[in-house]
Amino acid sequence: MPKKRTALALAAASAATMMALAACSGAPAGPAADAQPVADGTIEYGHQQEPACVFGGWIEQAYLSYQVLDNLVSLDEDHEVVPWLAESWSVSDDQLTWTFTLKDGVTFTDGSPLTAGVVAYNFDHWLAGGNSTAQVWLDGYYASSRAVDDRTLEVSLSRPYPRLADTLTQGYFGIQSQQALETRSEEENCASPIGTGAFIVEEWNRGENIVLARNDHYTSWPANAKHEGPARVEKVNWRFLPDPTTRTASLKSGETDAVYDVPAIEWATVDGGGYELHKYVTPGRPQQLTFDTVDGPFVDERVRKAFAYSLDRRSLVETIGRGVIPYEGNGGVSRTTPGYSTDAAEAYDLDLDEANRLLDEAGWTRSGGEGVRTKDGEQLTVVLPYGAGSIINSDGASILQGVQEQAKASGFDVQLVPVPQSAFFSGAYSTPEEKDISAGYWTSVTAGILHINWRPTTPEAPNYNNDAFNADPVLENIILRANSAVDPQEQNALYGEAQDYIAEHALAIGLYDRLSTLAVSPFLKGVWQENAQGGPVFHDAYFVE
Amino acid sequence: MTRTSSSDLELSAAVGRPGGPVPPTGDGGPPPRLGGRLGLVGGKLAGAAVVLLGAATAAFAAQAALPGDRATVILNVRAGQAIQRTPEELAAINEEYGLKNPLVVQYLDYLGGLVRGDLGTSYQQHRPVAALILEQLGPTLTLTATAIVLAWLLMVTWVTLTAGRGPALRALGEAVDTAAAGLPHYWLGILLLLVFALTLGWFPVIGGTGPVGLLLPALTLAIPLAGFLGQATRAEFERSLAQPFVLSARMRGMGDAGVRLRHVLRHSVLPAVTLSGWALGATISGAVVVETVYSRAGIGTVLVSAVNAQDLPVVTGVVVLIAALYVVANLLVDLAYALIDPRLKDA
Amino acid sequence: MTILDRRPRFARTAPGGGTPTRRGPRRSPRPAPDLVAAVLVLVFFAVALAAPSALAPRDPFALDLVNALRPPSAEHWFGTDESGRDLYTRIVHGARQSLLIGVGATVLSLAIALVLGSLAALAGRFVAGTVNRVVEVLFAFPTLLLALLLVAVLGPSAWTQVVAVGVGTAPGYARMIRGQILSARNSGYVEAAVALGHPRGWILRTHVLPNAIRPLVAVFALSVGQSIVWASSLSFLGLGVAPPAPEWGALLDAGKIYVTQAWWLTVLPGLVIVLLALATTTIGKHIQSALEKGEK
Repeated sequence: MPKKRTALALAAASAATMMALAACSGAPAGPAADAQPVADGTIEYGHQQEPACVFGGWIEQAYLSYQVLDNLVSLDEDHEVVPWLAESWSVSDDQLTWTFTLKDGVTFTDGSPLTAGVVAYNFDHWLAGGNSTAQVWLDGYYASSRAVDDRTLEVSLSRPYPRLADTLTQGYFGIQSQQALETRSEEENCASPIGTGAFIVEEWNRGENIVLARNDHYTSWPANAKHEGPARVEKVNWRFLPDPTTRTASLKSGETDAVYDVPAIEWATVDGGGYELHKYVTPGRPQQLTFDTVDGPFVDERVRKAFAYSLDRRSLVETIGRGVIPYEGNGGVSRTTPGYSTDAAEAYDLDLDEANRLLDEAGWTRSGGEGVRTKDGEQLTVVLPYGAGSIINSDGASILQGVQEQAKASGFDVQLVPVPQSAFFSGAYSTPEEKDISAGYWTSVTAGILHINWRPTTPEAPNYNNDAFNADPVLENIILRANSAVDPQEQNALYGEAQDYIAEHALAIGLYDRLSTLAVSPFLKGVWQENAQGGPVFHDAYFVE
Repeated sequence: MTRTSSSDLELSAAVGRPGGPVPPTGDGGPPPRLGGRLGLVGGKLAGAAVVLLGAATAAFAAQAALPGDRATVILNVRAGQAIQRTPEELAAINEEYGLKNPLVVQYLDYLGGLVRGDLGTSYQQHRPVAALILEQLGPTLTLTATAIVLAWLLMVTWVTLTAGRGPALRALGEAVDTAAAGLPHYWLGILLLLVFALTLGWFPVIGGTGPVGLLLPALTLAIPLAGFLGQATRAEFERSLAQPFVLSARMRGMGDAGVRLRHVLRHSVLPAVTLSGWALGATISGAVVVETVYSRAGIGTVLVSAVNAQDLPVVTGVVVLIAALYVVANLLVDLAYALIDPRLKDA
Repeated sequence: MTILDRRPRFARTAPGGGTPTRRGPRRSPRPAPDLVAAVLVLVFFAVALAAPSALAPRDPFALDLVNALRPPSAEHWFGTDESGRDLYTRIVHGARQSLLIGVGATVLSLAIALVLGSLAALAGRFVAGTVNRVVEVLFAFPTLLLALLLVAVLGPSAWTQVVAVGVGTAPGYARMIRGQILSARNSGYVEAAVALGHPRGWILRTHVLPNAIRPLVAVFALSVGQSIVWASSLSFLGLGVAPPAPEWGALLDAGKIYVTQAWWLTVLPGLVIVLLALATTTIGKHIQSALEKGEK
């Protein structure tokens, strides 16, 4: 019978699949022990997301622009700022004037020279919206910059910001050719910004790949580069492979030489295969939940705390993250951020009794200890929108579903809303009325990110990056003092105090640390993750045979 | 099966893969009133123009219906941010895209652009949509064409092997036809990818545009199509086997394979040939899914990412272009019919 | 099998429907086994739709972190997902949403098709011509493209899925209905009725429309399965129902990332969609051949 036969055939097919999978192995033969470096070659690199432009305020753009643009300074493994385009720098005693001395004889790939004037132009370009993230970092501190001479740049601040150099190591602060910015179209500067970097954007096939070609005249590598001179490989084929399974499989089958973002489920399979695995826990804001403190049930601190107590975040993250994704309890910054507070991270653990007690106290009740709580006829429904496929990957989406399910036990009805990027762009779920919890991360090199995320939002000076929508002068004061503290120890203590304050008032709770992971074929050596944001560095990479 | 009437075909085309074009059946358009070939050709051309106009209108309506302030959406899509915009910023965009003009003017501008081959500018990439699509059209057309050829090969082989060879084989043949026709592309694609690329490693996992990388995606499209074509062909095949000319060929001493391939097949593929035109549309639908599964470049990938980003000019550009391709293809077929078929001459 | 061996015609499912009566009447009243199987499958899903907990008493959303990603076993028939949720339970509870989207889209599609098809066949020259062109326009869009266009405008949701699939599949049916009406109108008995001087409206009501619409019963059954496949395609592309709803396409999409380590999360939901599509197709084709037999 067609029906029966079909079912049988399909059953057989699934059985075959199962057996085939059981027989799956797949470690590639590594290079011989006496393998020698070979010159040139093209690195096939699989990346997950494709930004609209190479340079911009999103980490995905920083990863790309890092290959093409050089920064003034770089961050080394020990979190020390080292020279890059700037040979040296100093800061005045009042902490308000920074002087950078540039390397001599550096030219952009369009032939124009790198001068202090060009760098000053870049600063003003960022502030004018040329890079939204650079803008929010400098906003409120940057006053002006000027070229003292061709090689000397003076940056004036309005308030002390001792971590300015650290901040400038991020990809958002890549220096572009003034000539290119002024004379080329917006479209050209979007698709192929002109820098002094190790690679040049050769072509961009949208939806498919970006081909980066070696800058043969590269002279301005950072002090922490692993070799001197232009890149060793001829090209990097930066391919966009959004499907994590396919991306990982392409590495195993030798179709790519390196891939970004290995999903937790594939980590073990790659780990055993002779590949070089890099894992970088990005400093800055971790993947966390911020509560809306001006509209809805979370205005009441007790309800926020109850939510935190009703979750077993650690088990959730460790199961779904399969031991690869680290649990993060701190809602302010991640564990790799200077000034991280362990107290803030450990503030809340699963405690259903406490959660129920707080909710009862806050007037949210339910009969029989089951179902959704209500107060004055209104249900305890909270809306949690998240950027599906962009800010939150599939592992993250599973973790949020776990949060939704766990919060059910104490009577929360969490409405998960996966929001496509486009909807965020048109301003959906950006106001306190539309949501109760915001999810997301923001990478940075210092805890100065707290200032961006928690600067008070007021009608006169709105801070669209403050997801709590609050205007807390106490918190602001702690963070401002931290930002301007010259002594690192004092600064870290203050940043820690700010995190403790966030935890104490349950303004935000952590979920997991955002990772930058990289898996590299045994035939490709010298790939490393830069220390500011964990992006791949291909300047030093070479093949062995 | 004793006959395959046009209405049967329409039914099967409609339900087999609903929404795909149904082959011309003679009652598809208004009868030519002008008389003669010239009039017929003129009528067909006018009809095609009306269809294209309609497609363009629908595409324009979709863009105009996008909720929210379009200038804000365009700016935020460009910058990758979701923030309020100042009136000055909006004014520039409104000027660039003519968003403050009356809808009628915008509509006429849009149509004028289409005539010049201008499908608008992508919100996200600041690039002309036409260029963007043309770049990606090649891989998709290669994929669909390969899939249709593969489907025919599979179908002919399978039907020739199993039709008219006794009840058991027939039942098997039919069961496979039905099951194959019902396989969703995304599922079949994942299974093939899982078994032949991820597990066995016989095929590349990220294909690219080379011939080896083409096979699995094309097969994913071809198998359901082969099942569908097989359903249409098998009946005719068995009927033809019982025809006198088959008997006479056998009596002339022709071998079974020869009879099947040279005589029977020729007579029985007609319904499937007619359905293949329709299949192009269905295959393009499938290609959207298959390109996603196999991480292939093409129209489908462009389309899905544009839908995600609400980059409406790109979405409507693809839709208008596919509609145009379909209309042109059918126009050519109709014209060929009109010029070749003697019966239509007098119509 | 034995029944089929003797009278193979009854099992054929090729398009155009079987016309078994031409080869002589059935010799046995026993129903075809494929039909029995198809009906059983449908009954199962009907129960899943009406009372999912009767078939799967567990909570489809309940986490069981200790038992994450377990392969199928006696305890978990279809295995568990990354959070330890029971896949069988989720599929059974997802039937309601998947089937309602499929049925909703089919109803919408046929309703649009009926209006457009009748107008194209029966209205005055101008209206008919215009409607015909509209149908042609819609028809020029491959189903999924039309659906994606609607998703782009409306944004992804279950309702969008119903509308997108309904509108996307309507043009094919509209053409079919138009053809049916035209062929019924041109049939001998209508001509005879006209010759006898019966009023036009009466002929339409009693002869043309019933004959044209009857096949829709079969089409309905045939297309529910297809609508579910289209709708799940949208979910698969991430443009459908939001997770963690256990809609089948969404289940498959969510399981995709685990495919090399947990094949059941993609293979089994897909298998369920295929089974249901085959069952509705089989039933549709049997209804179709029964209807044709009735006409003779």
